[in-house]
Amino acid sequence: MEHLAQIYFGLFAVIALACATGVLLARHPINAAMALIGLMTSLSGIYAILHAPFLAVLQVLVYAGAIIMLLVFVIMVLGGAKDDHTPRFDLTGLLLLLVPAALVAVLARTFRGQHLSNAASAVRGTVDKTGELLFANSTGYVVLFEAVSLVLLGAVVSAVLLSKRDLDTTKENKA
Amino acid sequence: MMGIDALQVQFLALALFGLGLATALTRRNLFFLLMGVEIMLNAANLSFVGFSRTLPGVASNDGLVVPVFVIALAAAEACVGLAMLILVFRTRESLDSDAYSRMKE
Repeated sequence: MEHLAQIYFGLFAVIALACATGVLLARHPINAAMALIGLMTSLSGIYAILHAPFLAVLQVLVYAGAIIMLLVFVIMVLGGAKDDHTPRFDLTGLLLLLVPAALVAVLARTFRGQHLSNAASAVRGTVDKTGELLFANSTGYVVLFEAVSLVLLGAVVSAVLLSKRDLDTTKENKA
Repeated sequence: MMGIDALQVQFLALALFGLGLATALTRRNLFFLLMGVEIMLNAANLSFVGFSRTLPGVASNDGLVVPVFVIALAAAEACVGLAMLILVFRTRESLDSDAYSRMKE
């Protein structure tokens, strides 16, 4: 059982890393979006292995189901194929690669000496356990939850407003 | 309880964050900028979940609540970000981030 979890974790980790590299190197945004779906799905598998089934389901529902769908939709609407003339990388960008490389090197050095082990008494993060924590009066996450609902409402309204302003400017251009 | 080394999860999250940052910084297409941000958010989520599993008892679920909010905020961010992307694309007809270097004018 332990070995099986280890094997599946390695498998999902390799898929996730390959998909993230695919996003970095993809030529067309659609290819990158497909790689992103693979990344989200494998991360969902890792959450399931880490005993967080609620997050695993949420990851597939919201990320693979909604966000990437929106992304693919916009890529299709804008006709991403038009963008073939934009170079993937330029010299400045390649020089900027030093920043993430340095960050990863420093953090990996920090992690290397640490001893971290999973708690034997860790509770499985099911829907009811996560929900209890989310809506418990003692933790105060309820306020954050309401704030997030406001943020989502604001996002929807602003997205509508942005598209409406776009219509107005095109009208002015025509006039 | 489980056979996965907690440090391995952190290393995976670190590698994903590095790749996401590299995508957001180096790619010139605006879509890749947004995708890089999404990858970084996911790496942070994975780190949260990985660390929360090292806490004993009920505290091991504390780290699972924050990713719920992060996912909700990522949805809001993608919604507004893509709306803005459509808006600026219609004015410049280009997805190259260099085309937007003179937005002040």
